[in-house]
Amino acid sequence: MSREEIRIGVYVCHCGGNISDYVDVKKVVEAIKDEPGVVVAKDVMFACADSSQNEMIEDIKKYNLNRLVVASCSPKLHELTFRGVAARAGLNKYTYYHANIREHSSWAHTDDKIGATIKAIRHVRAAIAYARRAEPLESIKTSTVSKVLVIGGGIAGLRAALDLADAGLAVYLIEKSPFIGGRVSQLSSVYPYDRRGYEIVGELINEVRKRDNIIIYTNAEIQEVGGYIGNFEVKVNIKPRFFVGKCENIRDIIERLPNDIPDEFNYGLTSRTPVILPPYPGAYPEIPQLDIENCDEKCREILRECKAIDFNMKEETVTLKVGAIIVATGFDPYTPKEGEFGYKVYPNVVTLQELHRLIELNKLRNIKSIAFIYCVGSRQIKTGSEEVNEYCSRYCCKAAMYTSLNLLRNYNGIKIYHLFRDIRTYGKEELLYEEASKKGIIFIKYNENEPPKIYKEGTQLFVKVKDILTPLTDELELPVDMIVLVTGMVPRHDNENLYKILKLSKGKDKFLLEVHPKLKPVETTISGVFIAGACQGPKDIKETLVSASAAASKAAILTMVNILELEPFVAHVDPDKCNLSRLCVEECEYGAIDFREYPGLGERAWVNKAKCKGCGACVAVCPTEAIQIKGLSNEQIREMIKAMSEEVRI
Amino acid sequence: MSINPNIYYGEPKELPEEEYDVVVIGGGIAGMQAALDLGDMGFKVLLVDREPSVGGFMYKLSKTFPTMDCASCISTPRMAQVAHHPNIRILVYSEVKEIYRDDKGTFKVKILEKPRYVDASSCTGCRQCELVCPVIVPDEYEWGLTGRKAIFIPFDTAVPRIAMIDMDHCTFCGQCERVCPADSIDFLQTPKWHTVKTGSVILATGFHLFPIERKKDYHYGEYPNVITAMQMDRMLAPTRSMHAIVRPSDGKEPSNIAYVLCAGSRDRTIGNPYCSQVCCMYSIKQAQLIMGALPLADVTIYYMDIRAFGKGFEEFYQQAKAMGVNFIKGRVAKIEEAENGDLIVYYEDIENGGRLSKAVHDLVVLSVGLLPNSEIAEVFKNVKLELDEMGWIISPDENTDPVKTSIDGIFVAGTARGPKDIPDSVVEGSAAAIKAAAYLNRIKRGLS
Repeated sequence: MSREEIRIGVYVCHCGGNISDYVDVKKVVEAIKDEPGVVVAKDVMFACADSSQNEMIEDIKKYNLNRLVVASCSPKLHELTFRGVAARAGLNKYTYYHANIREHSSWAHTDDKIGATIKAIRHVRAAIAYARRAEPLESIKTSTVSKVLVIGGGIAGLRAALDLADAGLAVYLIEKSPFIGGRVSQLSSVYPYDRRGYEIVGELINEVRKRDNIIIYTNAEIQEVGGYIGNFEVKVNIKPRFFVGKCENIRDIIERLPNDIPDEFNYGLTSRTPVILPPYPGAYPEIPQLDIENCDEKCREILRECKAIDFNMKEETVTLKVGAIIVATGFDPYTPKEGEFGYKVYPNVVTLQELHRLIELNKLRNIKSIAFIYCVGSRQIKTGSEEVNEYCSRYCCKAAMYTSLNLLRNYNGIKIYHLFRDIRTYGKEELLYEEASKKGIIFIKYNENEPPKIYKEGTQLFVKVKDILTPLTDELELPVDMIVLVTGMVPRHDNENLYKILKLSKGKDKFLLEVHPKLKPVETTISGVFIAGACQGPKDIKETLVSASAAASKAAILTMVNILELEPFVAHVDPDKCNLSRLCVEECEYGAIDFREYPGLGERAWVNKAKCKGCGACVAVCPTEAIQIKGLSNEQIREMIKAMSEEVRI
Repeated sequence: MSINPNIYYGEPKELPEEEYDVVVIGGGIAGMQAALDLGDMGFKVLLVDREPSVGGFMYKLSKTFPTMDCASCISTPRMAQVAHHPNIRILVYSEVKEIYRDDKGTFKVKILEKPRYVDASSCTGCRQCELVCPVIVPDEYEWGLTGRKAIFIPFDTAVPRIAMIDMDHCTFCGQCERVCPADSIDFLQTPKWHTVKTGSVILATGFHLFPIERKKDYHYGEYPNVITAMQMDRMLAPTRSMHAIVRPSDGKEPSNIAYVLCAGSRDRTIGNPYCSQVCCMYSIKQAQLIMGALPLADVTIYYMDIRAFGKGFEEFYQQAKAMGVNFIKGRVAKIEEAENGDLIVYYEDIENGGRLSKAVHDLVVLSVGLLPNSEIAEVFKNVKLELDEMGWIISPDENTDPVKTSIDGIFVAGTARGPKDIPDSVVEGSAAAIKAAAYLNRIKRGLS
């Protein structure tokens, strides 16, 4: 094979100072301009700017370049940008190579400008060595399934499902609990239209039920996820409901069942029977769930009167083929520890979520004064080795403000105190704070190091607090009838297994982590899996809906196109070198390697490109270097190491 | 900042009608994201921006909170992407003037493309015209900290990177015309009317900065050493034109800088009761950057409440405290100037007894808030775009579909809907894109 002459263009980026403040970019260009194969070597202010991209394209044409190297920021940011430049100039896009001299050189060595420059030169030399060996590659094309799986039936999941369905895609919506609706259905009233939470959820559920391209599974949990972007195969376990329809006499039956199980929907403020009825008007499905573990023989005996019950119902598994997955698994409200601000010690200390249920259940009686304590479970200060929630939960200031304004409206003469650290009613919701101040709600700012103390004298509940805003007084002692702990959001406690199956990563705050908050805010490191709503971090209702729509958009991009291009960096076998050690087959986690007949050679190892992830585990164990990653061969890596370790003089 | 000379010459020329699936108005980070998502779905998109380059507001920032990515590193590639996307066409320096909705649910959009007086197809952006132009005026892009010429390229990485003439200041000396190697100067250019038929429109029209001159007690525009945080962002940016942080009166490097939060926000006396949502965080960001750039300088932030609410924000705030930024709870009442240009800041020192205190700083940075860009409502001729009491675009269904507007088929993204940070704006760009895609699907089937 006659090899064409290698002609490389190298562009070293200043990144407007991000690089050139620490790396002497001109010296880098000087040091590499005579490397074998280099025809053009330049420094550019912003390599990613449109004008610089056009300059590269002109150079490629003018100097007949056939390889391109850009030394700039992380390839995560711009590898695709410059591959695009290569492609627009008519080159194979995989003949481009990216050297990261920002994160690896300038940012990492701000204390050592000479060292940073030398390191940058080494990186660029290695990139040039790669480019010399780079062969044109073809991306792997695969078809995509135009269906999307949405995990979680709260407002985020419902919104995402609706948007996808309306854009013409088929959606599977799965919910772990017996009913869809999520946390919003538990709220007594929601800003700005004073609607009940279940009315909002009900509206979305109604819309979802109107779409024939959304299929809902409740009681459903992911068991296994196989496949890859565009072609996932998801096994879903569906727990039995034991009811096949509604029973006309269900109310009579329930009357006779033991009613002593804490009702989860009401945070245990009420009790329920082993028959879990749809928890709010408009809930879906409309048929009850039997809590079989709490239903003994006597209970079953009573239930047999219902014709719609089937005790033999078994767990089922369905397999769904989808192109993309949206994770919309929501949050848990923070549960205060026993004794934290008197929680579970004094009966009238409740969380904000519990207050909503008390209002909805009409159980808020004889309450003349309430103190709201902010930042419970949020903005915690680390003192010992115990992990704390350092983050702000974002929605709680607004929620507490709105809820207390409702109390003022509906409970004549009620006195309300807000014990806060900072009031974070950002944006338009500042008007809530303004209204609360005008209407006589008393604001008391406490220092985070001196949190309010709760105690009881006789039957009277007290909160004792030092107010920063009225410094002349010592500590205030406020007699109150109720204390509401404004609790934040925490990651759901019961989804560890799901996140493990999907291989999702979590941030420092333990919420699911996006790839980049500005570039890829709903994408995860697993291609084809997106996140929506509060599973990513605290959000209010509007923000949750917006993020759900955004995730739907990304899933739609992926599933609307029928052909997906995957990177060609997968393993391939040189059958002449393969000595049938079979070590690669054992090593491959993805089952991508098999054996095949090669004409004239007999059986040798063979790679299924669609399954291979290009991890390189097989390369490491192959005794004869017969299996290599395309575009990253051992030979290329050795050349790069050699180039990197050569002496640098500046 | 807005590059919007008032003077044009010539009668506008009517261009033949064109058709796009979606028109996105506003080429900032939200609009670009919406256009890219729709383009990736396979729809034909027209992205219109009234400025001479796409990029919007974000491009002018230094770094961005809380991850400290440099703003241009995030926005430059987006700008190049929209310029090269096979399904996206960008139309800059163009204003949407009229939008009509018909009974099929589609829209007619009338756009006025303003003349650059430079032929866009032949200009190479070589900047020789800039060198010879004798007219120097304040550079809008640098918030007036430095100057530009009457013929100029808006900024280094502008998309498209071509020159334009500001006729408000041009003296017709003709030097640019003589030096231009591509013969691109065209004083006879006229405005053009584009008429576009489209299925859906996304409003990503952004915001206005609060004109802080209105707060008389802070004396912005009168005391040279009272600057806005946007000016400080330019001084901190890697692309900064002065390569230094200096105070305007005497070029001295400041050593004791004050930030005044809620300048033009949470303040009914000057007509903006809303919280602007970003100022706490960008001030904390700048404080951290100043700590790096001027290690000996003291930075004090005067605040009412620190609103570090987003992902990673509280941690970012705590980090600033640990770095030694001085946070003082108390609203600044007024600022006075001393003879040497230093400033006396009067404030209520809430955490120390609530007494009136004063402090001397050599530079005061006003953390200016955001106001709505409500002019967009006027372009709708036969339908009504609902705004809230301040003029931000609102959805009729905030609880179920917040990026909808009062007009079926028109969607909104980013700060056009209210103050918002960059991550939230980007997410809304994508959200509006799927809405437009769904709407197109609906009108295809006859608005069912």
